[in-house]
Amino acid sequence: MTLAAPAEAFTHLHVASSYSLRYGTATPRALAARAADLGMPALALTDRDGLYGAFKHVKACAEAGIKPLLGVDLPLLTSDPTMPRGGRVTLLAVGRQGWASLCHLVSAAHAAHAASSAETARAADDDVPAVTPELVAEHAAGLIVLLGPASDVGRAVAGRRRDQARRLLDGWRGRGCEAVVEIVDHLEHKSTVNAVRLAELARDTGTVAVLANAVRYLDRADSPAAQVLDAARNLVPLGSPRLVAHNGRAYLAGPADMTRVAERVTAAMTGPGGRSPDARGAARLLADTAELARRCTLDPAGDLGVGAHHLPETQGAVGEQQRALRARCEHAILAGRYRTAHPSARPGIGRQRAARNARDRLEHELAIIGATGMAPYFLTVADVADRVRAAGIRCAIRGSGAGSFVNHLLGISAIDPLEHDLLMERFLTPVRATLPDIDLDVESARRLDAYRIIFDAYGAERTACVSMMETYRARSAIRDVAAAMSLPPDEIGAIAKAFPHIRAKHITAALGELPELRRSRVNTEQLSTIFNIAEQLDGLPRHVAMHPCGVLLSDRTLLDRTAVQASAEGFPLSHLDKDDAEIAGVIKLDVLGVRMQSAMAHTLAEIERTTAEKIDIDAMPRDDEPTYAMIGRSDTLGCFQIESPGQRELVKKMAPRDIADLIVDISLFRPGPVNSDMITPFLRARHGLAEPRYPDEKLRGALQETGGVVVFHEQVLRIIDVLTGCGLAEADLVRRHLSTPGGPERTAPWFRAKADIRGFDPETIERVWEVVSAFGGFGFCKAHAAAFAIPVYQSAWLKRHHPAAFYAGVLTHDPGMYPKRVIIGDARLSGVQVLPVDVNASSGEWRTEQPAAGDPVPDDRRPARWAIRLPGRRDDHRAADSGAPPAIRCSLREVKGISDAEVERVVSGQPYASLRDFWDRARVSRPVVERLALIGAFDSLYPGGAPADPGGAPADPGGAPADPGGAPAPTRRDLLARVGVLARQAASARQGTSQALDLFVSADTADGMADLVPAGELRELDIAERVEAELEILGFDVSQHVIDFYADLLAGLNVVRSADLDQCRNGEMILVAGAKVATQTPAVRSGQRIIFASLDDAVGLVDLAFFESVQDRCAARLFGSWLLLVRGRVRRAGAGPMAVTVNATECWDIPALEEIRLTGGLAAVLAALATGHDLQAGPPPAATRDPAAPNNLITPASADPADAGADPDPTRDRDNASARPLVFANGFALSPYAETGAPGGSLKTPPRTLWHASPGSTITPK
Amino acid sequence: MARLYGEPVEVQTGEDGLPAWFGWRRRRYAVHAVQEYWLVNRDWWRESNPVPARPELEYWRVEASAGKGHPAGIYELRRDVAAEVWTLRRVED
Repeated sequence: MTLAAPAEAFTHLHVASSYSLRYGTATPRALAARAADLGMPALALTDRDGLYGAFKHVKACAEAGIKPLLGVDLPLLTSDPTMPRGGRVTLLAVGRQGWASLCHLVSAAHAAHAASSAETARAADDDVPAVTPELVAEHAAGLIVLLGPASDVGRAVAGRRRDQARRLLDGWRGRGCEAVVEIVDHLEHKSTVNAVRLAELARDTGTVAVLANAVRYLDRADSPAAQVLDAARNLVPLGSPRLVAHNGRAYLAGPADMTRVAERVTAAMTGPGGRSPDARGAARLLADTAELARRCTLDPAGDLGVGAHHLPETQGAVGEQQRALRARCEHAILAGRYRTAHPSARPGIGRQRAARNARDRLEHELAIIGATGMAPYFLTVADVADRVRAAGIRCAIRGSGAGSFVNHLLGISAIDPLEHDLLMERFLTPVRATLPDIDLDVESARRLDAYRIIFDAYGAERTACVSMMETYRARSAIRDVAAAMSLPPDEIGAIAKAFPHIRAKHITAALGELPELRRSRVNTEQLSTIFNIAEQLDGLPRHVAMHPCGVLLSDRTLLDRTAVQASAEGFPLSHLDKDDAEIAGVIKLDVLGVRMQSAMAHTLAEIERTTAEKIDIDAMPRDDEPTYAMIGRSDTLGCFQIESPGQRELVKKMAPRDIADLIVDISLFRPGPVNSDMITPFLRARHGLAEPRYPDEKLRGALQETGGVVVFHEQVLRIIDVLTGCGLAEADLVRRHLSTPGGPERTAPWFRAKADIRGFDPETIERVWEVVSAFGGFGFCKAHAAAFAIPVYQSAWLKRHHPAAFYAGVLTHDPGMYPKRVIIGDARLSGVQVLPVDVNASSGEWRTEQPAAGDPVPDDRRPARWAIRLPGRRDDHRAADSGAPPAIRCSLREVKGISDAEVERVVSGQPYASLRDFWDRARVSRPVVERLALIGAFDSLYPGGAPADPGGAPADPGGAPADPGGAPAPTRRDLLARVGVLARQAASARQGTSQALDLFVSADTADGMADLVPAGELRELDIAERVEAELEILGFDVSQHVIDFYADLLAGLNVVRSADLDQCRNGEMILVAGAKVATQTPAVRSGQRIIFASLDDAVGLVDLAFFESVQDRCAARLFGSWLLLVRGRVRRAGAGPMAVTVNATECWDIPALEEIRLTGGLAAVLAALATGHDLQAGPPPAATRDPAAPNNLITPASADPADAGADPDPTRDRDNASARPLVFANGFALSPYAETGAPGGSLKTPPRTLWHASPGSTITPK
Repeated sequence: MARLYGEPVEVQTGEDGLPAWFGWRRRRYAVHAVQEYWLVNRDWWRESNPVPARPELEYWRVEASAGKGHPAGIYELRRDVAAEVWTLRRVED
């Protein structure tokens, strides 16, 4: 059937991308690229239910060289009961008015959906926003309505109700909508004949008909993945009758294929006008399609506002705002409101000079701001920061904005760039066209308050939250595919959790490459189909969610340019994600909730509450020596950023002395610098072991602060400027360019030429170029590091000088990576007493408290047989120094299952006289009361029944009698039983029977409980039961450290304690043990995956490293066990004190070994260790690869640009079979498994049991 | 009356790719016209093949007769594209 070639090229008008959530499988970029390849001039994007992909589509079309069209595909609600439900309608936007109408319509649909709860008129297809024809008509200006086979008209036609179809079509037109019939034929059962009838209807009613293909994937072969998405979206398995049939035809078909469709449909038409088997019918259809496409083609700049900035106009016109900005800044300089106005911040610089520097810098920055028209931006952000602080919320800047002096003068930033030599050009230059990015850290607990402040101030027409897509990663993809294929839920969970948190496309590679998976039962043939399809889901969006920190600020046209929907938190959520915001030209302000800020706020509040001292932590000097000394000892648990095992190693080596050092430390602790040739020369110069070497003398000024090593982006800017004279603004562009693929190659000729003109000799040029190009991706923005260094310093200062309040803050807000039990242990080592939950003394937060005279002394909880020196580092760091109360009281919220309301009731009813009093007045649920009893929260009400000091004799089962009457005090078990009685009494009281109240004196007898449950008859909990209860109910061990239960075992094996590690020789083979508190897989130079882990053994942390050579036998046990015994080699890593890591060679599960000891004695354990259980016989490997060694093995790999990390819209690369390392220009290789979460459960909540529960075991460990 | 079957048949297609004749129960049927044609994916998830390649099934609803003198009936043929196997699904006569 040949035909004359159509006169017009074909444009697809109905296309769903992956932003049609769990429906489309192709990214906008892939679709646009394919359309361009097929020779199409333009492409529409009409995603389902939202406009999430719109700006990405516009960008993708621009890159592919085609024109964009935009629209949406929405469910159609109809009140006509004879109509089948589940219809859909597609809309296309014409010009600027059309796009605005589209945004308002989509917003209205979402709003209606949110408003209606149990609505009968809800559309059948999923729980999504829907439109009625009336709603569409309200926003009809500039919209084309496509009525296809899924529409009400199309369904009527399919149901052979021609008259109804006509009526419906007339109805659309009668409401003022421009309606067009859409012909789609996927060669499904009856779809051709329906398409023909629909085309006849269009012809007979004089309605324009266009041809489309309702696209949802790129190629026919993608339809199985789309089928799985349907199953996942509908929560049914494949094969369910609820799912529509698939046949692979909903793909982005080429012009020839679409022409065939047109011919097929038009050739079969009958009725008035007769058959039209000739080309004319098809040609007409295609021509009308092309014409509509032309009408709907959008101009990004004119119609969508792309390329212009739409900043809030609340403070006046742009020119006025520039004047206002200048006035405000000049005033701040005069008032001395900048840090370098004070001598301590500008050593060696006099007052006059400092003032001149300030004025010069201001002029420089105002010129840039004026040239870029950014004054409204700065004033808006300053306004937001002012309002947030006025509400008493801590607010700190984050990012390159710390490099702007204007930000400092406006009060947005507490960092004076003149103090740290930071550059404005790293933040904003006239040369770069994009909006700058300011991020604000606020207290996490008050983040939503901060949002409310912004929204109240700027209004719904100017603000919305940024959205983000939760995408499929390995675990979620496996879950959905396995469920679609009807696997049982338990199995699905087990399979999914076996994988670390990697990307879906690396599933097959991980099975081959990760030791813990290679030998697991997941690596089987049967599951390969599941894994294969799961890989195809890589990166596809699943849910839209509120971005955790992004807020959009715009002028009043925001809702004409984006749609919004309600979010769970109550704020309007825009369909723009963080990258779209830049294209759309609105401010994206990141307001991040940072728990450390909340922790510090709580700490400062506690200090004020107990000592009346109001500390202004942002204004004080940052040079306290004891604080730096503490950091240098790596005594940094609980501190911001520097508490991780890797960081602790680095600060041990570096021993920072001032803020500048902290800034360098933060900059170096990242992939690339770590253990590469950046850190070692820096440390050598720093510690005076080597002379700093500069590639050229002219670069001394820029590189002196880091001993000749290039660490900061700002240094790169200066280097480029010195060598080429291009100016800092241009240099920043060059720097950014260097980290793009192929960037260094393109930049090299320019660099060499310019440097040559400036008179540098070729050797020097090459030397400098090597540094600059290799460094391309590695440096860190110093301003960013400076912004981070401030809370690092502040948290460390608070820990050093106000430890009790500090731990109260950290335990309340839990900002760090370690489980609370580790923080509690650290608190004890600092001399801070940790008081247990008490119904009369505890509140909803951790608070400092003065311990009562009778409270047990905290310190030495370890059994005497462990001979220990108290670690010297604690000697100068006693809680008593600060003058504040030296104890902290555990918060009620730590109790499992307690609700906020219960916490409030308990606190407001304090103090309680007895258990019954508590039961009656606090009205807490029975399980929670039982838990409180088990952990001793009522012990203070019944003195004498409380357990004896756990370090001493075991508790007397009868309890020491304290009652003057001579009756023993109730044990915890007694109290538990009494709770049962109270519960039964409450039940019977509800049924009308009453209980007489005894009127005796003591608490125990006053509530009448002593008669019902006499004290002392039930055995008190022993220490093991107590600790188990604590782990279960609180998640931490208060009474005794878990590792102490294995004291006999560990002593018998001569395990080395963490406090004694510095006495070991380098290279010595030792055993260490503890509870696992952290695992990390940071990136290292060679591209290997190295697992760092830390064990807590009650006196400190032991840091371990597991290299790839041992992971094969260790990884599964390392990730699966909680209490570990590890054999390894001591490695002393640096010049600073206590820089010890243990390179592990083997590890064992301690409870399993204890079981062996209990049955076979120590000899059995030694035998088990020697044979290594299921290991091969033989000595441990002699030389494990040390990443600090110079001649590293670099894994041969190919660079995969899609992994560069900056790609927001990943094309799914099905050819990436192996997860190969990403190789940087200087040979640094980054393992794809670096920094992925470890498999297994979370470490922050330890397992609730102490003991390895082997089946059939009858031994109850003591 | 419609009857359901599931028997494999041998089908010969013409140059245009449309079925021309098929053999069933030792008779040869000549196809006069193709009434409908549609496609559906097989239940690929029930199979053990890890990659469901070419999952389509083709359905042909044709008017055919067993030769002169025999009445024409409607026959629904199905072709498994990947396995290249034809099946007779329904007969209406």
